[in-house]
Amino acid sequence: MAKSLWMEDAVTLHELFVAGEVRATDIVEHHLERLNARDPVIRAFLHVAAEQARAQAAVQDRWSPAERAERPLSGVPVAIKDNIVTETMPTTAASRILQNFYAPYNATVVDKLYEAGAIVIGKTNLDEFAMGSSTEHSAFYPTRNPWALDRVPGGSSGGSAAAVAAGMVPLALGSDTGGSIRQPSAYCGIIGMKPTYGRVSRYGLIAFASSLDQIGPMARRVRDLRALYDVIAGPDPRDATSLPDTTDATPLSRPWRIGVPREYFGEGLDPEIRHVLDRHLSQLRAEGHEIRDISLPHTRFAIAAYYLIAPAEASSNLSRYDGIRYGFRRESRDLVTLYEATRDEGFGPEVKRRILLGTHALSSGYYDAYYLTAQKVRTLIRRDFDDAFHTVDFVVTPTTPEVAFRLGERSDDPLTMYLGDIYTVTANLAGLPAISLPVGWAHGLPVGVQWLAKPLADHQLLEAAEALEGLLPPVRFPEEVEG
Amino acid sequence: MSAAFDVIIGLEVHVELKTASKLFCGCSTAFGSAPNSQTCPVCLGMPGVLPVLNREAVRLAVRSALALNCTVRPYSKFDRKQYFYPDLPKAYQISQYDLPLAEYGWVNIRPSGQDVKRVGIRRIHLEEDAGKLNHLGQRLGDAVGSLVDLNRAGVPLIEIVSEPDMRSAEEARLYLTELRAVLSYLDVSDLRMEEGSLRCDANVSLRPRGYTGSLEELPRVEIKNVNSIRNVQRGIEYEIARQAELLSRGERIVRETRGFDDVSGRTYSQRSKEEAHDYRYFPEPDLPPLVLQSEWIEKERAALPPLPDAIRQDLIARGIPDKDVEVLVLDREAYQYWKEASPAFSDDRLLVNWMLSDVSRLLNAQGRTFGDCPVRPRQLVELLTLIQEGTLSGRMAKEVLDAMFETGQDAKTVVKQKGLSQITDESALMQVVQRVLEAHAHVVEDYLSGKDKALAYLVGQVMKETRGQAKPDLVNRLLKEAIRGGQTVSG
Amino acid sequence: MGLSDQEILHVARLARLRLTTAELPGIRRDLNRVLDYVSQLQALDLADIPPTMHVVNMEMPLRDDVVAPSLSVEEATKNAPQVEAGMFKVPRIVESEGGGDDG
Ligand SMILES: [Mg+2]
Ligand SMILES: [Zn+2]
Repeated sequence: MAKSLWMEDAVTLHELFVAGEVRATDIVEHHLERLNARDPVIRAFLHVAAEQARAQAAVQDRWSPAERAERPLSGVPVAIKDNIVTETMPTTAASRILQNFYAPYNATVVDKLYEAGAIVIGKTNLDEFAMGSSTEHSAFYPTRNPWALDRVPGGSSGGSAAAVAAGMVPLALGSDTGGSIRQPSAYCGIIGMKPTYGRVSRYGLIAFASSLDQIGPMARRVRDLRALYDVIAGPDPRDATSLPDTTDATPLSRPWRIGVPREYFGEGLDPEIRHVLDRHLSQLRAEGHEIRDISLPHTRFAIAAYYLIAPAEASSNLSRYDGIRYGFRRESRDLVTLYEATRDEGFGPEVKRRILLGTHALSSGYYDAYYLTAQKVRTLIRRDFDDAFHTVDFVVTPTTPEVAFRLGERSDDPLTMYLGDIYTVTANLAGLPAISLPVGWAHGLPVGVQWLAKPLADHQLLEAAEALEGLLPPVRFPEEVEG
Repeated sequence: MSAAFDVIIGLEVHVELKTASKLFCGCSTAFGSAPNSQTCPVCLGMPGVLPVLNREAVRLAVRSALALNCTVRPYSKFDRKQYFYPDLPKAYQISQYDLPLAEYGWVNIRPSGQDVKRVGIRRIHLEEDAGKLNHLGQRLGDAVGSLVDLNRAGVPLIEIVSEPDMRSAEEARLYLTELRAVLSYLDVSDLRMEEGSLRCDANVSLRPRGYTGSLEELPRVEIKNVNSIRNVQRGIEYEIARQAELLSRGERIVRETRGFDDVSGRTYSQRSKEEAHDYRYFPEPDLPPLVLQSEWIEKERAALPPLPDAIRQDLIARGIPDKDVEVLVLDREAYQYWKEASPAFSDDRLLVNWMLSDVSRLLNAQGRTFGDCPVRPRQLVELLTLIQEGTLSGRMAKEVLDAMFETGQDAKTVVKQKGLSQITDESALMQVVQRVLEAHAHVVEDYLSGKDKALAYLVGQVMKETRGQAKPDLVNRLLKEAIRGGQTVSG
Repeated sequence: MGLSDQEILHVARLARLRLTTAELPGIRRDLNRVLDYVSQLQALDLADIPPTMHVVNMEMPLRDDVVAPSLSVEEATKNAPQVEAGMFKVPRIVESEGGGDDG
């Protein structure tokens, strides 16, 4: 083997395994080796399930070619963000309050992964309860950006993004509430997708903001991403908000009509990123696609609406962590003291900040002014997109206004960190599918372009992304570039 | 109670619905299992779980709403009601806030000596029950800790909120009794207050005469979780007296929640509203709106069984006395017993009379109900038919009923075993009659000379000879025929 | 006009979070910066705009009333810090805390 197996993409690994050219055991060992070499510095993982992965691989090595082929991800190592519940591994959401928590059940997506033959390598780091954009808000340790170890990988799915970017796994699951898949994908130079709200079951995803949360795939190649998407998407009787299987199979006709919203290219966008985006758009034009200047006028209210809705729902979702049935508990002589001491010590500062904000936004006398108002603004943002998708097939924007920032740079300034979500939160507010693709470099760091499509057009979006891949710079590993 | 006040009472009733599984998960709702043996990630409020609504709970709730004359909303939604308490695993209850399942219904009550009175129902909504706390120690106040059992967490409930239409503890009792009767005919709940499947909170306030403000603004006291209808009545009575006393002394009534102590018959302060919860309601993002098709609602309406008001009319039309009608209507099992027996028996008054006196007496003595009466309706009808046919006297029938209760045997079997039946064989009886006539020839002469009492003496003699098993009017007729026949023969 | 320390402590109490006097100024500053930022929404005329409570237009799916296996008591309580007689143990409940509506 000239090329190490960890460098291969997921579909290739699966094909080699089905063809009997490599053993699952070798695939797993190569990836564990890579992980052991890189993760002590990058710290993408909170839990590595090496023995379970080896056992799974050993079982799969005894499968017949037909059994291997039947399962679309057989032989493929996958990492899971640690806010997705797993029965055989701890699930912490990177919070002290869930330290050593072993759920008595698997998330629906986890069951689907196993059924598809995926080999689960471990659980990845995140900002505590997915609240953050840097993975510095993990209660355990920050994850580093494989491209620049003094920089953040983004967040909250920073562990998954870093693991994929560094070659520790070809595929990972993330979750995206306001950009938590797309922003770290952009920062780490990989591909990440937030599906249409309701496309992927949320059963077993530790809730942050229930009306915004969505699990999605992360990968280095679009066809890998698509393979993982196909495994996890679909209706789930355990999730009342999961959509019935109404796959929009309308084939995408060329040329594409591409909307470029001027609000996403204004003040605050790094000029170098802008330059990379301009080049991307010229390439598209050169390919014969139609580029249209459009307006999404309520974008400027998106952050404000998001930072009311998400904390409000979070304050409710995080009330269950009370030290009684599971998780961390600070013993106390009476119940109220136990609640307060447990939650005080169990939650980190960013989580507490959002719980306080959200509790206030829902409290008596403030509900109308805050939560209800924000949900009305959400309607305006949805209408902007509805209008846009009458005239265009896709909307293209930068994924982030800036490249990955340095560790510690934003940790003292929540509002500035929140404002960094400006280009990603609208997809969550409107429920749209959105994908971030590595489009180039700025300041020596990866830059992501975001493509958005109308609700349910996930397959068209994936199709477009696959077609685009040829126009984009090839995804490489950090040391290849450095070297 | 001083006449300077009106009593204003509204009731909130929580009813556990009789589904097999919980409202949002598949755990069993069976009562009395080992603690926490009926729990799963969903009803334990584990991280990552989601609720999925039980179709049957919706149906039972809609059925209840229709029977209580409510308008069912075609579009309702669920909300989270948030507070921290160890019996509430998620720290929020999934309930319905501003768009409840149903609204604007009523129940008719019959205060004695007054016309029928309508008590309004403001709303009915679906929600999940909380778990159960077992306190370690005598009372909550001095408990050293508590143990949480979540078997009941997530069991479906409907909350029925009345309008503040009741004006006395007696009216509240009548409302609860009628509500329970309606629900019992629907078969939507076990309705056992002692097991918590029916729970009542009472809001009591006194409105000074001449008060022009809104009812909402009156200081209101909520009496929580009283465990029987009788105690609801007692708690309200105590509370009216307590508040009247305070007002008469010129003191203010504090808006608060009070518990009821059934030993002393008093209410006691639990917490004042000032420190009450801010529930931070907001729409449940995990559940889309509940949309009910009007055709489906109408199908459920058409499937409603006869309800107390209609049953009352029917029973009254059959000539059953009002007092008995009330007893029958309010006890669904008794009514169903009657309904099963009635088509096979011609005399409804006699049937009801026997049910509510002798059968009831025996049931009470054994702590049974009409639902598990050892004498089945068919068997009671057989017994009453024997009376009607003259085979048994009333007194003998009671003896037979006792034996039927003991053994479960049919009336005829008991009669045969005990040799109890009245002699109805005319030829057999005629032999006794002839013997008596021969032995008392002088009495016959008295009778023939016009002394009517003489016949009664002869009847008595025949009854004595037959040990009371002859039917008196038959003996009467046979005696007359024999005397007349004897005359003919001799004359 | 932001939240006062008093109001923040009230909110903290609702959320069952304990705040020390040392962390209060920082939290007040952060919260008030965010509240100040979101106050821009108040300028919008939203009178006729319905809220988006669910982003996908769908109706409630219903589940058949079928009993599914529960966890064993051991599984249900295995993560609990304190268990007694198969139940979750909590310390003394001070009476004024009260319960819910259905307690
Ligand atoms: Mg209630
Ligand atoms: Zn359950």
